[in-house]
Amino acid sequence: MNISANNDLPKILVFSTEKISDPAVDMAGLLKLHYPPRVYTIPIPCSSAVKPRWILRAFEQGFDGVFIAADGTDCPYGESCTDKTGAIVQRTQEMLKEKGIDAAKLRMAAICSVCSEAFVKQMKTFTEYLVKQKTN
Amino acid sequence: MKSKIGVYICHCGGNISDYVDVNKVREAVKDIEGVEISVDTMFACADSSQKQISDDISKKQLDGLVVASCSPKLHYPTFSAVAERGGLNKYNYVHANIREQVSWAHSDDKIGATEKAIKIVKAAIVRVKESVSLKPIEVKAQKSIAVLGAGVAGMRAAKELADLGIQVYLIEREHFVGGRISQLDYLCGADETGKELVTHLYEKIHEHTNVTLFTGAEVIKKSGSIGNFKIQVKITPRFIKNECNRDELLKAIEVCPVEVDDDFNFNITKRKAIYRNYDSEYPQKPTIDNKNCTRCGECEKVCSSIDFSQKEEILDLTVGSILAATGFDPYQPKEGEFGWGIGNVVTLPQFRRIINMCDDKLIYKGKEIKDIAYIYCVGSRQVDGDNKYCSRYCCTATLYTSILTHKKYKDIHSFHFNRGIRTYGKQEVIYDEASRLGDIFLQSYEYDPPEVTKLNGKTNVKIEDILTSGSEIDVDADLVVLVTGMEPRNDCSIGDVLKIPKGRDRFYNEIHMKLRPVETVIDGVTIAGACQGPKNIMESMNSALSAAAKSYSIVNKGELSLEPIIAKVDKETCVWCGKCAEACPFDAISMIKENGKDIAEINLSVCKGCGMCLPVCESNSIDMDGFTDLEIESMISVLAGS
Amino acid sequence: MQENKLKEYDALVIGAGIAGGETALNLANVGNKVLLIDKDLTVGGKMIMLSKVFPTLDCSACITTPKVSEIARHQNITVLTSTEASDIIQKDDGTFEALITTQPRYVVVEDCTGCQLCEDACPVNVDDQYQYGLVGRKAAFIPFSIASPRAAAIDIENCTLCGACERACPTDCIDFTQTVEKYTIKCKTVVVATGFQLFDPTLIPRYGFGRFKNVITSMQMERQLAPTRPFNTVLRPSDGKMPDNIAYVLCTGSRDKTVGTPICSQVCCMYSTKQAQLLMGALPMADITLYYLHIRAFGKGFNEFYAQAQSMGVEYVKGKVAKITEKEDGNLILRYEDINTGKVTETEHDMVVLSVGILPNEGITQLFTNRKLELDPFNYVSQANPLESPAMTSIEGVFVAGVASAPMDIPDSILSGGAASSEAANYIRHIAKKTVEV
Repeated sequence: MNISANNDLPKILVFSTEKISDPAVDMAGLLKLHYPPRVYTIPIPCSSAVKPRWILRAFEQGFDGVFIAADGTDCPYGESCTDKTGAIVQRTQEMLKEKGIDAAKLRMAAICSVCSEAFVKQMKTFTEYLVKQKTN
Repeated sequence: MKSKIGVYICHCGGNISDYVDVNKVREAVKDIEGVEISVDTMFACADSSQKQISDDISKKQLDGLVVASCSPKLHYPTFSAVAERGGLNKYNYVHANIREQVSWAHSDDKIGATEKAIKIVKAAIVRVKESVSLKPIEVKAQKSIAVLGAGVAGMRAAKELADLGIQVYLIEREHFVGGRISQLDYLCGADETGKELVTHLYEKIHEHTNVTLFTGAEVIKKSGSIGNFKIQVKITPRFIKNECNRDELLKAIEVCPVEVDDDFNFNITKRKAIYRNYDSEYPQKPTIDNKNCTRCGECEKVCSSIDFSQKEEILDLTVGSILAATGFDPYQPKEGEFGWGIGNVVTLPQFRRIINMCDDKLIYKGKEIKDIAYIYCVGSRQVDGDNKYCSRYCCTATLYTSILTHKKYKDIHSFHFNRGIRTYGKQEVIYDEASRLGDIFLQSYEYDPPEVTKLNGKTNVKIEDILTSGSEIDVDADLVVLVTGMEPRNDCSIGDVLKIPKGRDRFYNEIHMKLRPVETVIDGVTIAGACQGPKNIMESMNSALSAAAKSYSIVNKGELSLEPIIAKVDKETCVWCGKCAEACPFDAISMIKENGKDIAEINLSVCKGCGMCLPVCESNSIDMDGFTDLEIESMISVLAGS
Repeated sequence: MQENKLKEYDALVIGAGIAGGETALNLANVGNKVLLIDKDLTVGGKMIMLSKVFPTLDCSACITTPKVSEIARHQNITVLTSTEASDIIQKDDGTFEALITTQPRYVVVEDCTGCQLCEDACPVNVDDQYQYGLVGRKAAFIPFSIASPRAAAIDIENCTLCGACERACPTDCIDFTQTVEKYTIKCKTVVVATGFQLFDPTLIPRYGFGRFKNVITSMQMERQLAPTRPFNTVLRPSDGKMPDNIAYVLCTGSRDKTVGTPICSQVCCMYSTKQAQLLMGALPMADITLYYLHIRAFGKGFNEFYAQAQSMGVEYVKGKVAKITEKEDGNLILRYEDINTGKVTETEHDMVVLSVGILPNEGITQLFTNRKLELDPFNYVSQANPLESPAMTSIEGVFVAGVASAPMDIPDSILSGGAASSEAANYIRHIAKKTVEV
C-alpha cells in the first residue's frame, strides 16, 4: 500500500522535543505504528522554544499543518513549559488569523516519552482534518 | 558556510534498506552543492565504517558531516566522536534519523519512506552547511553525591561511593533505615535475615566518615544541573534528644496511651504514637509519630529525652550527582479482590510478619493454621487492571515462604494457585524443594482467576485447573495468602521533584535498558533498585552498584565538560525588555549595561539550552547554536519543498 | 614474540562479551588501565551475533557495536583477541600475576583492510562457526561483517598452506611466521566474565538434532534472523523451502536433571518469544508454536512482550515434547503430552527449533594457581556474598560479571558488569592505598 502515491496528502511539520516527545516518535517507528509519511519532524530541546516565525515560515513554504509535540508536565526544564508552549501557540494562531490562515492548522498536544500511540493518533486525525480542508 | 560535506547513508543491515531505497537517497543528494562525497554503508556504526568516515574526513579535508541512520538517541554520540577523531568539530556533525522515523515508521509505504528519507537527508545537509564550531564549556563538578532512600540498595550504593572517597548524603524519608528488607526475616539464598543485612550495611555506613545520614528527610526542591545540583532537604523532627536515655524511652513507649495500626507489620498489629519497629532498629532511637500524637504529655513525665520543641528544618546541599533508590510499595488488594476483606485472607508481606511472630505454632486470629492457599499474581499480570507487568520476585518468595512454614511448623499443607511458576535461573531449585515437600500446584486460566468464598468457617478457593485438564478443584483453607506484587511508590513526589520520567508500568524509566540501564534523561540523576522495576535483593544490589559506578564517573574528576549549546544575545538589536529573563527557568539571564545601553546577558554555566527565551524576544535578538533561525528555517524550506 | 615481557595493569578482565566489556569500560572511564582479553577472534561475545533483542526489539548489533568500538578506541583499555590467561597467582600484597597467551592470527591486524580478497582466493571450505554451521567459510576469513577487529584470520588447522591468500593480499598483511606469544602481566584485580556455552542438543537423541536436517538450534535460527544473516530469508535446511509451520521446543537442556542441568536458563522463553515475533514478520503466513513448561516472562517489559506475541497469533502449548520423528518429506512429528487436554498428542511441523539452554564455560578454576576459585553446584562461579556483594568470589580481589556467575539476560548481565566494575574499582583503590602506606 503506497499511500503517498497520492500527491495531495497534506504535509505536516512536527516540532518534537529531544528528551520527551521525540523518543515517543521514535518508539512509534520501533513498534511499527504507521502514520502518514508526509509528517516531518524537527527535534528541538523544549517545546517552549518554538519561535512563531518558524511556524509562519512553514506555512509560507507550503506545509499544510504544524504540530507541536509538547513536553507538557514532563518537561525537564520546568513546570512552566505547558503554559509557555500554550502561549506561543495562542500568539501564533492570532498571527495566522491575521494572514487569513485557518488557526486550526496549528495544533499542539502534550506527547510524553512513551506516548507513541497518542502521537500516531494525532497524526492520523490531523491529516484527516487537513485533507478535508483541502478538498473543501 | 560549509562546502566540503561528507554524507553517509546507512542500510542498517536491512533495517533501513528493506524499506528505503538507499541508493536513490544517495543519488538524490550526491550532486547538491557542498556535498563532497556521498556513500552508502551496510553498518555505519561498525568499527570499520567508523574508521572509513574518520579517514575520509582527514584525507578529504571535509568540513561537515551527515550520517543518516538510526535515532540520534542511539548513535549521535558515536558519530560525533567519529567526527572528532577525523579532526572535525563535533558540532559540524548532523544526524539524520531515517530508521525510527522513516523506514520503521513507514514500513507499509516504501515510496513514501524513500521520499521522506531524501528530504530528511537534504535538510540535514542544509543544517550542517549553516553549522558553526563550538567548544565545550568546562565546569567544576562537586565531589559529592546525594543517595535518596536508605533501603538496602541506597545503603549499598552509599557505602561503595564512600569507599571511593566521595562525600555521600544519604537521605531517608522514614525515621529508620532499611526500607522493605527490614520487614523480612529469613532471606532466600542467604544465611542472614533481612534485619541482619540492614544492620550490617548500617554499621558500615555509620562508621564511614564520608557518609552523612539524614532520616525523616525528604528532597523537596532541585535546581542546577549535572555536576552542581542544588537540593533542598526537609528534615522532620524526631522529637527525641540526641543524647537520650534508652531505658526511659522504653518506659515512654509503654505509657503512651495512643494506639494506631502498625504499618511496619502491615496493620496486623498496633503500635504506640512513640515507637520503634523492632529492637535492633537503626538509628537506635524511637520516633514520635506526629500525625497521631495527642501531646498528652505522658511520655515526657517518664522520659527526659523527649523534646517537643524540635522544629522542622530545611537544609540546602550541593551535589554533583543524585542517585535515587526510592524503592517500591507492595500492591494493596481492593475490597473483594480474591476475597480480600472476608476474614482469613492476608497478603504475602503480612504473612511474612505473621510467620515472624509465631514461634512453634502458626496462629492467626486465635486459630491454628494448617492448610494454606496461596493465590499468585495479585496486582501483577492483571487481565483487567493496569498492572500488566510481572512482579518478578513473588513466585520464588512465595515458594521460599512455603518452605519456611514447613521447616518452622508441623503438618502444613500448601496449595499454590498459580499462573505458571516463574522461578527463573537457579531459583528453580526452590521450586524443586517445595515440590519435594509435597506442596500442591494448581494453575488457573488467564481469564478465569480463582474464586474465594467463605464456607462454614473455612475459606474456600476454587479453580478450573489447567494441570488436570480443566477439572474444577476446590480447597478449604485455614488461611488464604494473596501473593501481592510490587508497585511503584504511591507517593512518588520525589520523581516529580527530580523530573524522572516513568514508563508504561509507572516505574521510573532508564534511558535505555541495555545501553544506559541506570541513567535517566536527567543528566546526572541515576536510578537503582526497585524504583526502576521489580527486583529481588541481589538484582537491586547489582543495579545499586552499577548506578554508583555511573554517578562516580560523573563526579570523580571534579570537572565536567558541558554542552555549549546555549542561548546567545545579539547585543546590537537587544533593547532589554526583560521578557527573556522572565521566561528563563534557571535564572541564567540578567541585565547588564554595555556601551550605555541595557542589554541581556546569559550566564554560560547556568544556561541549559532549553530555548524558552527564544520565542518571547520581541526584537528576535536571541538565537541558539544548532537551532538558529538560519538552520531551522532552511530545514523547513527543504522539508516543505516538493 | 616478546617473550616474558612484563606489563602492569590495574585490572585484567577475562572475557570481552557484553558483561566484560561493560566492566572494562566503567573501570577505564574512571582512569584505570585495563587489559581486556578474549579467546575468540573478535570482541562482543554472544550478543554481537544476535538478531534483535527482547523486549524492545532493538537490533543487537546496533547496541553492541558502539560499545565494542568504544572499547576498541579507549585509551585506557588494551584489547587482546585470541588470548587466554592462565597461571594466575595472588601475591601477598593482594595483587596478581598472570600468564597471557596469544595465539597467532597469521594476519597483521593493523595492516588488514578487511577487503576479503584472501577469502576469495582461499580454496578451502569449512563450516562457519560464527554462522553456527549454516554456511561454509574459507580457511582465510573475516569472522563476520561487524567483527571487531574486522580483520582476516587464518584457520591454521584447516589451512593447506597453498599461499593463495598471501598472493591475493594487497597489503601483504598475511604473515605465516607468527608464533604463540606468552608473557606475564601484573594487575591489581581480576574480573572473570567468561560467559557461557550453549547446550549441545545431540545429548538428547530423541530430538534428532544432527540426524534430522530440519531440526535446528535457536542460535542457528537467531543467525537466520540477524541483520548479518547468511541467507536473506529463513530457510529450512533439507530443501531450502521457506518453512510455514515452525515448532519451538523450550527447555532443551534446561530444567532437565537427566542431562545434568536442573536449573532454568532464564533466557530461552523470551528469546523464543522474540524469534516467534520476528518470524511472524519475516514469514507472515507461517504458524509458530511454542511447546513450553512455564513461560518465564519475568523482567521489565517481558510479560507485556509475551502478551504481545500471543496477540500476534503465536501459539503457546503447555506440554513437554517426548520425541521427534522425521517423515520422508523432511517434515517432523512431535509427540508430547498436551497438559490442557491431558492427552498424548502428535502434531506435524515442517521445521523444529530447539530452544537450547546455557551452560557455564569450563576450565575457569584452573586459571588460578595459589587460590581456589569456588564454583556453585551448577559449575557457575560461586558468589561469596550474593546479597551484599554479588560480584564477590571466593578469592579476595577476583570479581565475577555476567553469565559466568548465573544464567542471566542482557540487561542483567550489564548491571552485573556494572556491579563488578564498582567493586573492582574499590579493590584497586584499596590496593593502591596499601602500597602508598607501605
